[in-house]
Amino acid sequence: MSQATPTRVQRHAGDPVSEAPPVPRTKLEQIFADIQSDMRYDHELNGCLNCGICTATCPAAHYYDFSPREIVQLLWTENLEGIYDAMQEKIWACAQCYTCAARCPFGNSPGGLVMLMRETAIKHNMESARNVLRPFSRVMLKLISTGNQLAPDMINKDHFADWGPNISKVDAPLKILRKAIPMPTLNTTATAWEVNLKTSVELYTIWEMTGVLDQLETIDENLFDVITDIMDEKREDWQEFLDEQEESDD
Amino acid sequence: MTEKCGERFTGHGSEWVPATLSPEEARTATQWVEQKIDRRSMLTQKDRVEDVRDIMWQLERDGEIVVHRVRDEHEPVIAKTLYGWEKKIPTKRLWHHKSCGQCGNIPGYPASLLWLMNRLEVEYLDETDQTSCTAWNYHGSGIGNLESLAAVFLRNFHQAYVSAKAHGGDPGHFYPLVHCGTSFGNYKEVRAYLLHSAKLREKVKKILAKLGRLVDGKILIPEEVVHYSEWVHVMRERIRNLQEIDVSHIRATIHPACHVYKMVPQDVIYDDTVLDGNRVAVSTGLLETLGAKVIDYSTWYDCCGFGFRHIISEREFTRSFAIDRKIRVAIEEARADVMIGHDTGCITTLDKNQWIGKAAGKAVDLPVLADCQFAALVCGAHPYKIVQSHWHASSTETLMEKLGIDWQAKKAQFVAYLDEVKEGRQENLYDPRRMITSGPGYIPIASKA
Repeated sequence: MSQATPTRVQRHAGDPVSEAPPVPRTKLEQIFADIQSDMRYDHELNGCLNCGICTATCPAAHYYDFSPREIVQLLWTENLEGIYDAMQEKIWACAQCYTCAARCPFGNSPGGLVMLMRETAIKHNMESARNVLRPFSRVMLKLISTGNQLAPDMINKDHFADWGPNISKVDAPLKILRKAIPMPTLNTTATAWEVNLKTSVELYTIWEMTGVLDQLETIDENLFDVITDIMDEKREDWQEFLDEQEESDD
Repeated sequence: MTEKCGERFTGHGSEWVPATLSPEEARTATQWVEQKIDRRSMLTQKDRVEDVRDIMWQLERDGEIVVHRVRDEHEPVIAKTLYGWEKKIPTKRLWHHKSCGQCGNIPGYPASLLWLMNRLEVEYLDETDQTSCTAWNYHGSGIGNLESLAAVFLRNFHQAYVSAKAHGGDPGHFYPLVHCGTSFGNYKEVRAYLLHSAKLREKVKKILAKLGRLVDGKILIPEEVVHYSEWVHVMRERIRNLQEIDVSHIRATIHPACHVYKMVPQDVIYDDTVLDGNRVAVSTGLLETLGAKVIDYSTWYDCCGFGFRHIISEREFTRSFAIDRKIRVAIEEARADVMIGHDTGCITTLDKNQWIGKAAGKAVDLPVLADCQFAALVCGAHPYKIVQSHWHASSTETLMEKLGIDWQAKKAQFVAYLDEVKEGRQENLYDPRRMITSGPGYIPIASKA
């Protein structure tokens, strides 16, 4: 008799009827404890009667195997295996519109709870998080190194072929079109606006002190290396500027 | 269909049987889960929602925080929010907290806003010392956390507070005006957590101390978090005074942005003079004041499909949702001439995702603009130099034709103007020296104030 192909649940969380799931109970408990330990958890989960208003309003539920009601129920009933399973794929379907939160009669925020689960998926270096975020790395590089999420030079025909034949309806070099924007802060191509050097250096301190760089290192070591190199360079530039200022003051 | 139901796993157990309701009966039975996010649907929560500004004032009295006030010099206009609470909207001396998506992708959005401010003689500062709120990345990826979001919020708002000093002004001279809807929702949510949690304040205070971003050793909390669309709303009568083009024949649909009115909904403007106060007032109020016909459509409450991560790496969801749930509905039900929004991601999504519809046999064609772009256009702003409509993929030309604007002539003017730009003779909305307030390139100049 040939071996049956394991289901996605069995691959990630083990067979629910098996007495010895591949994912140790202690790990499942740790994941749930991490989700619960966020101060937002009690604010965003207040109870659930399975009314389904959240799923009725959910844009992601139209297109994906995703239901905010299910997410809330899994957390409310502390279904550790189910929570783990949902973190393999479902939580990444949420479009983060918070329509569910605006409509829930209990004042729950399923969209907010999804964010706690996403943060926890990253903390535990889950494969789902790595896979889902791989195509997002360009954006993370830009955001973490410059403080801007999106830059004009990222919007090009290669990356956004489905947006039409022209990114701009006036055919001219990007640099000239950007200079023709009457806000001098926007005469840029590599960032959405010109970012002050001090601003970037301050942002790096925030990333370091809040553990964001640790998150990044967990999920994508190569990206982490590139970003820390950029940070080091900008910090040197800032120090050089301060040294020059000191010399001119003397 | 009914016979086949037993073959499917429904999760309801063997005692479950189909209700066999007629479509009409099914509609009646499920009416209570209608998806509308109107005012009446949210009033039921009122008794359980607190005004965090009460906590804010108490913390200031206790010496825990400093509040960045909306002062008389900011000439605030009072607006009413969801539960009838008052919100002060500053109208002058504004610090532009830009949106990375607007500036990177649809730059006519902020340029139109600044152009309107110039016409209305509103003093402002557009400077380089600011980051985005970082929340687009957070909602898309999960990289980031409450502490990082809070630290970024307080850093940027502190810079708004001290920014005038660079050119000879006092702290608090400028008040921050947030351009992005996600920044607006995110900052309000983070402000509430900061006010509630001494532990979060303590953690973030250490970071801000290291950055030199405390005021008298305390964190600085803004009295109000204000979105640009709220400024436009309270200025709409004054904007109408600048109007040059009649829009009474224009059928406009409004897309209210999720992070503007679904996040921290108690802080959102509802105006009894706009749709009987039953829906978020911004944008609709402006369009009605300008004289356009604002037409309803059944999916007005739906999101645009942006999804934060989806628009980057799962675009089949984004474009399907944008076309099927928004654009097509607005065209077929409202016979709309334009869709107007008030947020970065929505304008991008609804504008850019129409073209691909042709490939799927779902060709749609509806101009999409931000409210301030529409206002600038009908007040005489140049469609390319100021409104920068060439960055829009949707057919803004169709709208311009309906408004009587010779877009081909204007486009030719702009193309000719690019030669001047190449030679460094571009026109700016403000003195470029004012944009740098510290570090390399900083030149102190006397404040205009």
